Amino acid sequence: MKIHTYLLTLMSVTALTSCEKFLDVKPRESISDAVTITDKTSAETAVRGVYSALAGSNYYGTNFQAIGYLSGDNVQWTGSQSIVQEFINHRVNADNSMVSGVWTAVYQTINRANNVIGKVNEVSDPTLTDALKKQYTGEAYFVRALAYFDLARIWGGVPIITQPTATPTDNRGIARSTQAETYAQVIKDLDAAEALLTNTVDRYRSTQKTVWALKARYYLYQKDWAQAETYATKLIGEVTNYSLIKPYSAFFANNVRGTQESIFEIFYNGTTEINAHRGQWQPQTNGGTRQWAPSDALVTLLNDASVSGNRNTLIGTDNQNRWYGNLYYRNPGSDPSYVLRIAEQYLIRAEARTQQNKLTQAASDLNAVRDRAGLAATTATTAEGLLLAIENERRLEFALEPHRWFDLVRTNRAGAVLGVTDAKRFVLPLPVDQLLVDKALVQNEGY
Amino acid sequence: MKPYLSSVHLSWRLTLLAGGLSLSQGLTARPAETKTYAFPHARIQVTGKVLDENGNGIPGVNIQIKGSSRGVTTNANGEFQLPDAEPSARLIISFIGYKTQEITVGNQTSLRVQLVPEQSQLSEVVVVGYGTQERKNLIGSISKIDPSESKNIPTGSFDAQLQGKIPGVQISSNTGVPGETVNIRVRGATSINADNDPLYVVDGVFINNTSLQSIGTGGKATSPIADINPNDIESIEILKDAEATALYGSRGANGVILITTKRGKFDQKPRIHFNASTGWNKAPRLWDLTTGPEHAQLVNEWWINTGKDTPSLNRTEANRPFRPVSEGGRGLPQEQQTYDRLGELFRTARLQNYDLSLAGGTNDTRYYIGGSYTGQEAIIKPINFERASFKVNLDQKVNDNVQVGVSNILTRTYRNQARAGDGPQGGLLQAALHTPTYLSPYENGVLVGRAGFDNLTLLLENYDVHSISLRYIGNLYGEAELLPGLKFRTSFGIDYNGYDESEYWNNLLIAGSPAGLATSSQTQFSSLLNEQTLSYRKSLGKHGFGLLVGNTLQSDVLKRTYAEGRGFANNAFTQISSASTTAGSQSWSKSTLASFFAKADYNYAGKYLVNASLRADGSSRFGDDKKWGYFPSVGAAWRISQEEFLKGITALSDLKLRASYGITGNQNGIGNFAAQGLWTGGASYQGNPGIAPQQLGNPDLQWEKTQQWNVGLDAAFFGGRLSAEFNLYSKYTTNGLLQLTLPGTTGFSTYWSNAAEISNKGFELALQSVNIQTPELKWTTSLNLARNVNNIEKLETPLRYGSRDLILQQQGSPLYSFWVYNQLYVDPQTGNVVYEDVNKDGQITTADRQIRGSIWPKFFGGFTNNLTYKGFDLNLFFSFSYGNKVYNHNKFFGEGGGARDAARVIFASNNARWQKPGDITDVPRPDGVNVNNYRDGGSRWLEDGSFLRLRSLTVGYTFPKNWSKKVGLETLRLYAAGSNLWLWTKYTGLDPESSVSSDQNQQGIDLGTPPQPMGLQLGLNVSL
Repeated sequence: MKIHTYLLTLMSVTALTSCEKFLDVKPRESISDAVTITDKTSAETAVRGVYSALAGSNYYGTNFQAIGYLSGDNVQWTGSQSIVQEFINHRVNADNSMVSGVWTAVYQTINRANNVIGKVNEVSDPTLTDALKKQYTGEAYFVRALAYFDLARIWGGVPIITQPTATPTDNRGIARSTQAETYAQVIKDLDAAEALLTNTVDRYRSTQKTVWALKARYYLYQKDWAQAETYATKLIGEVTNYSLIKPYSAFFANNVRGTQESIFEIFYNGTTEINAHRGQWQPQTNGGTRQWAPSDALVTLLNDASVSGNRNTLIGTDNQNRWYGNLYYRNPGSDPSYVLRIAEQYLIRAEARTQQNKLTQAASDLNAVRDRAGLAATTATTAEGLLLAIENERRLEFALEPHRWFDLVRTNRAGAVLGVTDAKRFVLPLPVDQLLVDKALVQNEGY
Repeated sequence: MKPYLSSVHLSWRLTLLAGGLSLSQGLTARPAETKTYAFPHARIQVTGKVLDENGNGIPGVNIQIKGSSRGVTTNANGEFQLPDAEPSARLIISFIGYKTQEITVGNQTSLRVQLVPEQSQLSEVVVVGYGTQERKNLIGSISKIDPSESKNIPTGSFDAQLQGKIPGVQISSNTGVPGETVNIRVRGATSINADNDPLYVVDGVFINNTSLQSIGTGGKATSPIADINPNDIESIEILKDAEATALYGSRGANGVILITTKRGKFDQKPRIHFNASTGWNKAPRLWDLTTGPEHAQLVNEWWINTGKDTPSLNRTEANRPFRPVSEGGRGLPQEQQTYDRLGELFRTARLQNYDLSLAGGTNDTRYYIGGSYTGQEAIIKPINFERASFKVNLDQKVNDNVQVGVSNILTRTYRNQARAGDGPQGGLLQAALHTPTYLSPYENGVLVGRAGFDNLTLLLENYDVHSISLRYIGNLYGEAELLPGLKFRTSFGIDYNGYDESEYWNNLLIAGSPAGLATSSQTQFSSLLNEQTLSYRKSLGKHGFGLLVGNTLQSDVLKRTYAEGRGFANNAFTQISSASTTAGSQSWSKSTLASFFAKADYNYAGKYLVNASLRADGSSRFGDDKKWGYFPSVGAAWRISQEEFLKGITALSDLKLRASYGITGNQNGIGNFAAQGLWTGGASYQGNPGIAPQQLGNPDLQWEKTQQWNVGLDAAFFGGRLSAEFNLYSKYTTNGLLQLTLPGTTGFSTYWSNAAEISNKGFELALQSVNIQTPELKWTTSLNLARNVNNIEKLETPLRYGSRDLILQQQGSPLYSFWVYNQLYVDPQTGNVVYEDVNKDGQITTADRQIRGSIWPKFFGGFTNNLTYKGFDLNLFFSFSYGNKVYNHNKFFGEGGGARDAARVIFASNNARWQKPGDITDVPRPDGVNVNNYRDGGSRWLEDGSFLRLRSLTVGYTFPKNWSKKVGLETLRLYAAGSNLWLWTKYTGLDPESSVSSDQNQQGIDLGTPPQPMGLQLGLNVSL
């Protein structure tokens, strides 16, 4: 019976050791969300996490940008995914997965910013100085402002979320604000950021100057021409920091990054931070799918030196003589995503000045951009002529950047230029899966 | 039945232990009177004892004097007394599960009769959770499969070979690539986001069945089950109802597949078995594509039609794409060439298989040693599957009470892999199917890719993707009988899988441009298992009872290291060390499970059987206070045929009514840290570390639980010649594990919760019949048929899955329901598709999508015939499925009507398009894509996936013993085996079982995967 007793003892010992400790397994690649932003290092890394969200493939990585340019008239589609065609045709369905992806990605960015805004000031780590706290929260405010700005121009009014999500019941069931209220949140955050950030240059992270650049764009969208001019002037005046470098391709070609052209661009190191945007543009000989290609009209314009100057460097031909966009070309994907450029500030000011009837000054701003592209001065003399010239200049200057569609909508020219006369189509549908899961959301009219 | 009965051939064997005399007789032979005894007519008292095969007395045995109504039954010790028998009297001794014997009393007054178990299903030993049982004592629903019949079906893994063999178990192969994952569903599916796969147990080791593949092959993944050599398997038991699976509690909700590998036998001289086979496989059919001229014609039509619809496009007859070269066009349609790419991709694939084994045993030792090699090409280049395996099983008796043993499987599988599914870079079918037939592989003498995909020839020449799986499955046990009937067993099991993948994409391929890309991924999975059981079994008179308690501890660790390098000097350098830029990553994950279980069973006289069990499982995956789940079950069976009132019905050899109820659980397939709120460290920016929210926690996350009722009836007639098993079941799953969608405003997409309820109800019927049995000819038939009705009982928000949201999961509909726009007809006047406007708002929007069918068949099953005549054997096996739907997404792309022009082939079915007013067709006129006529998700491509498949046909010949002995062989059999030789289906794709994704929520979408091959194998079995 000895062996019997022994075995029973062994069994019960095994049983006892197998209790809760055995079942308590912690991950190694992640940390618990109970302790997140607690000291200088975690605050610093959480801010990087905010930019990382901005860089995500559904946001400035690829898809948000794609909505901006596919909806214009510069890009055609060569692939088999009809969700892309919906933007080009302006028949976007509420179940378009790109729309859904962008919505989620922008709010993910907002949540990360909210975490920084909500938690950094609570940290009591002596090495996390007040100056650093101001910088970190200021950066988060800027990113949040950009996020709401993008939400407002794609969808109109959206739910405003300003607190971090801690449990599955947080931040849901919140009704949409109006587009005006959403823009009000943008300027509120920009003001907060402006007050917190310092007047330094950082082309990859936000500073006071970055805030000014977005404010200039914000006021342009609000048709507050004087303010738009004021903020654009702040940037344009910084000639030692920002300039229209020549030729046009100097801001993106030859693997450059962070040039004087750039006010804010998103950084990808090409290893742990990949910008997959190139895959949509490059031909297969360069490892891409060329699903999105410059439209015939754009190719014609870019190749016409009298209208585009040297901006034809944006496109190239593959071994089958097909045109492809070449703004995103680095392999592996380390192309920056260009968010704010000095050329835009010139064109913002040109438009703002035209609207204020400062035609000569406006033309001079426009010509600065034309000159950089290797073009002669504009021949437009009237306000109307200048506005059209600016519109056309923007089309080529930002040919493969997300401006064209938003420009035509804000200037109410989408009908004339693109044939999109139904104003309900000026905003996209809310993703149908969001409507299903959050009953507080109401679909945009016409979808 | 009558004609069959006339040829009844019951053989029986009688051993008279007392006299040391053995008789063998058959009913068809004249009873042999071996001795004539003296004392005629004098009545004598006879006493005796009836023994089972182990020499123990059997209570309740019937002893009847032939030709009279007189009889007695044995007492609790198996003893009987017959007061006045005539020496000439013949006694009929019968007991269920044993062969009936007749003996003449003669001059004996004390008889010892040893009954021989009937080799019927009833006394078949079935492996159950933590033990074995005779079939007649089963309460639960368990199917036992002899895998040898199906092992020639060229699927790579044994589970895929079982399609149609097991009632209520649905198996679909999805692709014709050997060794890839299959879908196995035991009595439907219970979960949306947790696994629906059954638990696999090999010789007591819970093995991993989740693919370790990390490289993308377009949706499909390699199957870890393919690491097991089908030839090493002795038997497969599938546990289906709660009574059978409850001992596996936490793991049992989706059924359990118990695999018992071959072992030697004690006191058996060494026997060598050798099998060899070689074969050929090919695709039964390929897609029918338009020729170059037809394609060009459709593109022209599309061009002109879109121009008519939208004049601003300026598309006219004059500037149509396929106009004379002299006018700047691509040449007229009739001038176009047709290039065959499918013929370049598909091949007649070779297959070879060798198995060699040695089995035997001495008094105290038994052993099985096996080795095997399988090499199988897929029917599309360059995919290849090879498996080499060793097997050693050893059992040693230490003394009369203690036995130790070990089971070992060591396997290496090597695969040439390629993207046979979806995906642009390196996609084989994309390279072949996306490229229109009119486009030459060459441009200016150089091989070029088209439409964003690789050039097929370059791809096939330069594909370099390999994986090597090294798998060890082992179990070491010790077993001791502490007291008579009281057994203790302890075991340690290991499932280790080292998985090594490498890719090299040279600069001629898209993925490798501009200067090459190499990746290496090393994955290690190890599962450690420790188990103790203590069991007690005792019979007291007519009362039999058993008791089992035990515990298991399991810990699984998954580790992966990944490295990649880009930028190689030239294509001769293929190792990451030669790359100009490199990157790497690492991951680690672990889960643990602690379980305690107990089971008690009781039977009265083998007539009334009841049992009850309880298992408690603690899982590391759940919330702190929710880790433990409790899984009880109860069952009862009544062997009605043992009752006196049925004794007279001789045709009925068994009748048993069974019922069980129990609760089982599921936690597989969810993240190891699903309940925890997490921040990730991977959110770097500017190359510096960054952190970010990753997952919202749910401290209430707990076990998904399935309660199941099962009522079964087993019946056997004519001594087992005809038998039937019928089961009726109802499963209801609560706390369904679900990645619940969160509103995007939270900044998260989903979180893990227990939110769904799903039911499965159905029946299973299995029939077996020995139609003819003579010494020379035997013909058996078996049929199984099952129906499962699946329904989502509770799901707050519908979930959409698959490309173009083709699948919708919503409350009130079955899982995997197809969500489509219903195409009513093509307007004969306009050539436009008319879709059903469900909400009558005058436009077709997503609100008009509707569920029109699901992947679930109305019924499914299999049908087998076995025929042996002298040395010949014939096996004919059909599997079938009726009423299931398949979405032919590949055909949607193939019927783009010219809109995809140079970006996609057009299927020949598009030639039936509308061309002029009055045309009656269901294929609309070519115009803009996805507007209306070629709308994604149109019902035109939702097809009936019903099929009847001649899954295997085997013809063999075994040489007569005296012939084979001459060449020194014990047995020699030659055979030819055909697989998938015939398929009946209305489905217009290649294979109604095609499914592009291994994601369980995206079943039934055919995006062009290779079909299951039609094959022929020639082989031989030798033993000596």
